[in-house]
Amino acid sequence: MLERVAVGARVRRPQELRRQPAARRKLRSRAGEQVAAWAFLTPGVAVILLFGVAPIVWSAILSLQRSNLSSSSPFVGLANYRQMLHDPVVAQAIEHTVVYTALFVPGTMLVGLFLAVAMNRKIRFINVYRTAAYATMAISTISEALVFIWLFDPSYGIVNYLFNRVGIPQQQFLNSPSEALYVIVIMTIWGWTGFAVVVYLAALQGVPAVLTEAAAIDGAGRWATFRRVTLPLLSPASLFLLVWLTINALQLFDEVYLSTAGGPLNSTTVLVYYLYQQSFGGGFNFGYASAIAYFLFVIILIFTAIQFRVGRRYVHYRS
Amino acid sequence: MRHPWLSVALAAVVAAFGLAACGSGNAGTSSGLQIWEGYTGAEANAFKHLVSEWNKAHPTEKFTSLYVNNDDSLPKLLTAVKGGSQPDVAYVYGSWAPNVAQIPQVVNLTKVVQRPGVNWDDFWVGERDVATVNGKVIGIPALVDNLAVVYNKTLFAQAGLQPPSANWTWNQFMADAKALTNPAKKQFGTAYVTPGTEDTVWHWEALLWEAGGEILNSTNTKAAFDSPAGLKSLQTLQTMAVTDKSMYLDPTDSEYANLFNSGRIGMLVTGPWDLSGFPNVKYGVQIMPSFPGTDGGHQTISGPDNWVIFNNGSARVAAAEKFLLWLTATPQATYFSLHTGDLPIRRSVEDSPGFLQQMDKALPGVDTFVSNLNNVKQARPQLPTYPKISTILGTMIVSVLLGKTTPQAALASAAQQVNAAIAAGSSG
Repeated sequence: MLERVAVGARVRRPQELRRQPAARRKLRSRAGEQVAAWAFLTPGVAVILLFGVAPIVWSAILSLQRSNLSSSSPFVGLANYRQMLHDPVVAQAIEHTVVYTALFVPGTMLVGLFLAVAMNRKIRFINVYRTAAYATMAISTISEALVFIWLFDPSYGIVNYLFNRVGIPQQQFLNSPSEALYVIVIMTIWGWTGFAVVVYLAALQGVPAVLTEAAAIDGAGRWATFRRVTLPLLSPASLFLLVWLTINALQLFDEVYLSTAGGPLNSTTVLVYYLYQQSFGGGFNFGYASAIAYFLFVIILIFTAIQFRVGRRYVHYRS
Repeated sequence: MRHPWLSVALAAVVAAFGLAACGSGNAGTSSGLQIWEGYTGAEANAFKHLVSEWNKAHPTEKFTSLYVNNDDSLPKLLTAVKGGSQPDVAYVYGSWAPNVAQIPQVVNLTKVVQRPGVNWDDFWVGERDVATVNGKVIGIPALVDNLAVVYNKTLFAQAGLQPPSANWTWNQFMADAKALTNPAKKQFGTAYVTPGTEDTVWHWEALLWEAGGEILNSTNTKAAFDSPAGLKSLQTLQTMAVTDKSMYLDPTDSEYANLFNSGRIGMLVTGPWDLSGFPNVKYGVQIMPSFPGTDGGHQTISGPDNWVIFNNGSARVAAAEKFLLWLTATPQATYFSLHTGDLPIRRSVEDSPGFLQQMDKALPGVDTFVSNLNNVKQARPQLPTYPKISTILGTMIVSVLLGKTTPQAALASAAQQVNAAIAAGSSG
């Protein structure tokens, strides 16, 4: 119904306009288009300004204040940023965030690529496997965290049970300051694998059989074909995953909040979790938390810029 | 009109901003007053009943209630106050009282609680302490609880142990925990929550007080826990966690209850809120053990929460005060306890005839928690820097429990950090 009205409107319009001189007609219609465009955009822009830009600007101002949101908030210049330089927990949080990102991003991409290649063929029940792989994305973080807490429980978990069967001594996992972060890496790789699989599967479907067949005829083995033909053709997908997963890794929060609360002994405190602790998590130090947020923003900006610049050299786009 | 959709879109935007602006115009009580609370289940039903009872009797001062998760209430209140749209009444955790006291819109209730008929001293001392910040009453008690020992009767019998008596000691607790531990059956004597949050900290604070120690000095200007009492309390925990390995360490703050309910843990130091989660085991409840030779005796720690009033004009403040005094008066408090199993917020509720029997029938063991309210002798320091102090103490306790440091070293380092935090807090 709606469509028909729209089509009718489009048909009527040129006849209407024909009565006017050509130049004025053009001007009038362009101005009309402008107004129409803005009218359509206004609600969306208003919402983005209100809920997107306003908080971003406000937190920039907050980062220059000492604020607990309730009493007056004096401007303190760059004191919050200077405090970060001397805060040992910030240094730890940066280290944990970097270690986490360095393990999580390649880990997820490798597991995702492996599963996608394994599933990119016509075998029986393939849809079941594909659904199972993607199900990790559909499961809520809370259930994911609960399951992993039990899997890695030092006394009752199945992982220690299996370790025991093959003669590895009992591990403390989430109770151990030296192991907890790695448990979270495994937990999040599991959670994000489905996403990587879907992206790589879609990209693999786009690799033309002509090219791989041609490579085979030229005498390339399966590994050489994968390495020299398939992988370069997957590079746009790889760059997308690299950027997307890195941004998400640098903002890790949910899994830490649910499983370790940054502990034991700050060993899983990452930047966003520390930011939360400093603000709504009990610190009520909103100026300082905003400064940490802006610091993280700059890091993400730099990382992404580097990735795109380096990516330009290695990513192969097919025209 | 050439472009009717243009006016529609603009009108929608204008209307949206207009509606937002309307929220701040509230002078009288005719538009209804608002409560923010986080009740669910039985508590929500009982509270709804009481509010509707009030609304029937006071048609010009009607209250409506909005569910706000208690864990988020302070951040939400701070943002609401910033935008001028604060509720009239809100339920706020007691540990946030010092932060709440800093909000200019929070109503000072010091004179209100002295009105005739309120009987302020009828509230437990732990509650009154937490409702008072720097001599100013900022809230009316909404909930009270405390820590006691919940033990598995079957496991005690299997180990050939006598159930704990009311005059037991921490040495007996440690010996029982050791006897109840059985690595082959993956059975632990006791458990401790180790996320390093306030939940980790307040369990230890009870031990510190029982050993005769204090968290801060009497003027709240310096750490006082780096003392023989502090050492004794941490050594007790260390013996069980590190030497005897009789203590299950739970970094998630949630598993210990399931494990106790499946008969894997012999004793828990916990509060009345956990009792309903133990339907599968035969449990008993006993007050906390003591450290003989100290003047601490049997103590416990209480985590009371408060009702707080926000200023939205004098008529609304007056109505909110009247409502809260009614809600927390003995008849309403009795109704609420009996229908929820929550501990009575007033001593007179406990004293009313048949009350304890009725409570215990609904939730076995809760009577011990009720009488344990008499062992609440002190409260945590009421300082805006307390959250920071809590974080330092949490790290101290966890590092000892994980065997990473000695109690002596942990106490000394934590005391130094707490002193620095207090100094930084008071200078700002």
